[in-house]
Amino acid sequence: MKDFDSISPLKILEKSSNRALGAGHLGVLVARAGVGKTACLIHIAFDKIFRRERLVHISLEEGPEKVASYYDVIYTDLSKALDLREDDAYRFLMERNRMILAYLNQSFDMTRLETSLTNLRERLDFRPRTLIIDGLDFEHAERQVFEGLREMAEAFEVEIWLSALSHRHITEVNERGIPYPCHRLDDILSIIIQLQPEPSGIYLKLLKDHDRYDIPENRMKLDPHTFLALDVTSQ
Amino acid sequence: MNEILNVRNIGISAHIDSGKTTLTERILYYTKRIFAIHEVKGKDGVGATMDSMELERERGITIASAATHCEWKGHRVNIIDTPGHVDFTIEVERALRVMDGAVLILCSVGGVQSQSITVDRQMNRYEVPRIAFINKCDRSGADPYKVVDQLRQKLNHNAVLMQIPIGLEADFRGVVDLVSMKALYFEGTHGDDVRVGAIPESMKEEATAKREELLDAASMFSDELMEAIFEDSVTEERIHDAVRKGTLSRMLTPVFLGSAYKNIGVQPVLDGVNQYLPSPADVENRALDLDRDEAEVSLETDPALPVVALAFKLEVTPYGQLTYLRIYQGALKKGYDLIITRTGKKIKVGRLVRMHADQMEDLTSAQAGDIIALFGVECYSGDTFTDGGLNYSMSSMFVPAPVISLTISPEDNKSQNNMSKALNRFIREDPTFRSYVDEESGETIISGMGELHLEVYVERMRREFGADVTTGIPQVAYREAITRQAAFDYMHKKQTGGSGQFGRVAGFMEPSEDASYAFVNQIKGGVIPTEYIPAVDKGFQTCLQKGLSLGFPVVGMKITINDGKSHSVDSSEMAFTQAAIGAFKQAYLKAGPVILEPIMKVSVEGPSEFQGNVMGSINQRRGLITSSTEDGSFTAVEAEVPLAEMFGYATVLRSLTQGKAEFTMEFSKYAKLPEALAEELKSKLSQRKKGEKKP
Repeated sequence: MKDFDSISPLKILEKSSNRALGAGHLGVLVARAGVGKTACLIHIAFDKIFRRERLVHISLEEGPEKVASYYDVIYTDLSKALDLREDDAYRFLMERNRMILAYLNQSFDMTRLETSLTNLRERLDFRPRTLIIDGLDFEHAERQVFEGLREMAEAFEVEIWLSALSHRHITEVNERGIPYPCHRLDDILSIIIQLQPEPSGIYLKLLKDHDRYDIPENRMKLDPHTFLALDVTSQ
Repeated sequence: MNEILNVRNIGISAHIDSGKTTLTERILYYTKRIFAIHEVKGKDGVGATMDSMELERERGITIASAATHCEWKGHRVNIIDTPGHVDFTIEVERALRVMDGAVLILCSVGGVQSQSITVDRQMNRYEVPRIAFINKCDRSGADPYKVVDQLRQKLNHNAVLMQIPIGLEADFRGVVDLVSMKALYFEGTHGDDVRVGAIPESMKEEATAKREELLDAASMFSDELMEAIFEDSVTEERIHDAVRKGTLSRMLTPVFLGSAYKNIGVQPVLDGVNQYLPSPADVENRALDLDRDEAEVSLETDPALPVVALAFKLEVTPYGQLTYLRIYQGALKKGYDLIITRTGKKIKVGRLVRMHADQMEDLTSAQAGDIIALFGVECYSGDTFTDGGLNYSMSSMFVPAPVISLTISPEDNKSQNNMSKALNRFIREDPTFRSYVDEESGETIISGMGELHLEVYVERMRREFGADVTTGIPQVAYREAITRQAAFDYMHKKQTGGSGQFGRVAGFMEPSEDASYAFVNQIKGGVIPTEYIPAVDKGFQTCLQKGLSLGFPVVGMKITINDGKSHSVDSSEMAFTQAAIGAFKQAYLKAGPVILEPIMKVSVEGPSEFQGNVMGSINQRRGLITSSTEDGSFTAVEAEVPLAEMFGYATVLRSLTQGKAEFTMEFSKYAKLPEALAEELKSKLSQRKKGEKKP
């Protein structure tokens, strides 16, 4: 098996001072609709799963079957790229290390999530190191939700990766270069990565790294089909 | 041919208690097949017409499919009412096999529940177009819009509302038809009179917006409608055509609303069946041509062609065996001869009837597309009938293997006879139900798809056949499988005077990729003569019936033979079969055999406050929780749990959740039984054997 680290989108964090998000912190992938936020989040999930770390995938839009099918599709790409042949081993890793929590029809709230995480810990002894939250509405969610998530990240000793939807027509950017809809939340978010579609491919750009902004050589190119890292391009 | 275009063969499927039987009852009433309405658990003690079995009436659930037909606005609609509980899934599968379209009923409070998901998966497998009916809009907590979202999210349906409700819960009064843009009210004692009125002023804006959504969705399937929208010349006919195209392609699911119990919204569903679901001529059906190595052939819904029909259900009636038949091609007449493909046996079409729940109507002929029943035909469920000119078999139905078994013993001699009759009947009716006598213990064992499945058959034995039986503790259907390659080289030799026996077989066994058995012949130079190869294969297959670890059937084995030896005089088929048996015994224990247990996909749904209790209860049962979905105030926990741990779970769940949660399960896969438990099982089985040997 080839090394997943060399093609993981999380390789972007090599440009980060801590080289990781870390427990107690929130990280976000921001992009317009259809650019590939979910695929990138799932790659982050695979990065954790391949390290035998447990994670909870929280979906606010899709049911668990659909989420699981996304993982399967991305695994198919990965298995080609990494020459993986042991499907049984993959299934075993998934079964042991991934839990999907879906909150459909606006049923998501912090209390429910906290209850579910407590149930997982106490009833199943399932202690995740990472939460992936896909589909949280950054535009309309209150600031308290993000503060609550950060508190939860600390209390449960997890790192939380989120996706945020931006829009082509909203070009608002704060003085630190953080775009809408993260521009008012960058004090809460430890890592902000932007997904940028360009004619030559899709780029990940590290906009914030813990306390640092204006990170030099902060871009990485992704394969537009598989969302796996291709090479490093300086800005 | 026009007649065929006006036939609809539909199934009605959904989660248990969504109101399938109530809806069917209303349909029969409005189509004048019955003249009074009886409720499923009605106070009049009559029970709904479709629940023809005594047991079904008592439990208020539909166990066996009952076929019936009715006529609605010039269309002949054959309806198969199907059971909702997953233990009877084979009934649902059979219904879907012969149906051209289906009505998927959803509860406006419960929404898309686990069983709806299972049924929907089955419908996808049989490529059945469907329309949806969101029932119980009069109930407290009714939210049809949420259910439409669930259809999209949980089932991936491109669901589109054909109507919007006028009022909801206790105020539910009727619906606004988004095609005609009229309000429909259902008046008269049983909602017989559909009064068409103007859309209430307060709903006009919403109706216009929802109609836009309908037009948007439907126009994807019709350029004419798209153009008409641009030109502002949309007609009802254009919308119906587009929705029909979308539905037939299974890319669109029209959604109707109502309350069958309150007699609201049933007639528009019947209109929808006529307008949007396919006629038999719209569906491509295929058979296997046994004369051409099972090549797939298309069947034409043409009465002039040779007949091909499928027996999809058998039922015992006081007058004899009733065989439900779907005619796919050709026509049938009283007095015709038919051939059963499986046996080659000829039968004469005697009494030909059209079923209406447990009443019937005699016919003289029937043609392609029809669903009818024959009397006095000895056959099995799933048999194909032709006129003898074709050697076709309808592609086999997907039949899951049984996962649970229990011993049954009659209480007296009379019961012994009746039990045999009952078992003989059930096996013919239901391919997932099996029965055999254990050679060692001499006990009769029945096996099936779940506790409830077997419970119902035991109950039917008592009630319908007068067989009083006692049952043992349910046993899980374990399997054995090897985990590594092991070689064999075995010589079977008996040459001690008289005609001798000689055969040598060499090669190796290894796990196969799927759970099936594979036999690979790599013999070169005729060291085992070709005519003896099938005997070697047979020898290995005989051994698979009883593994050498604990005596369970062996699955997932690939045998490769690559060497051997024969004797010009003493070799025989029997000698090579014995050599294969010897070879199997020689290699099996070296191949790392393990015990496999059935793992069930379990879904538990209940109020969110019980999520922790549900998770804990599954964890205690060696279950692996894969997801938890919150929707409104409900949570559905999905898990994979060994069947052996699920006995009595219904009672445990009830006490853990104050009776507010329910669960469904279906077979998922076989997985290795943990070593410690395999040892425990081994000692249990050996103790049982010792007990049996005692006088």
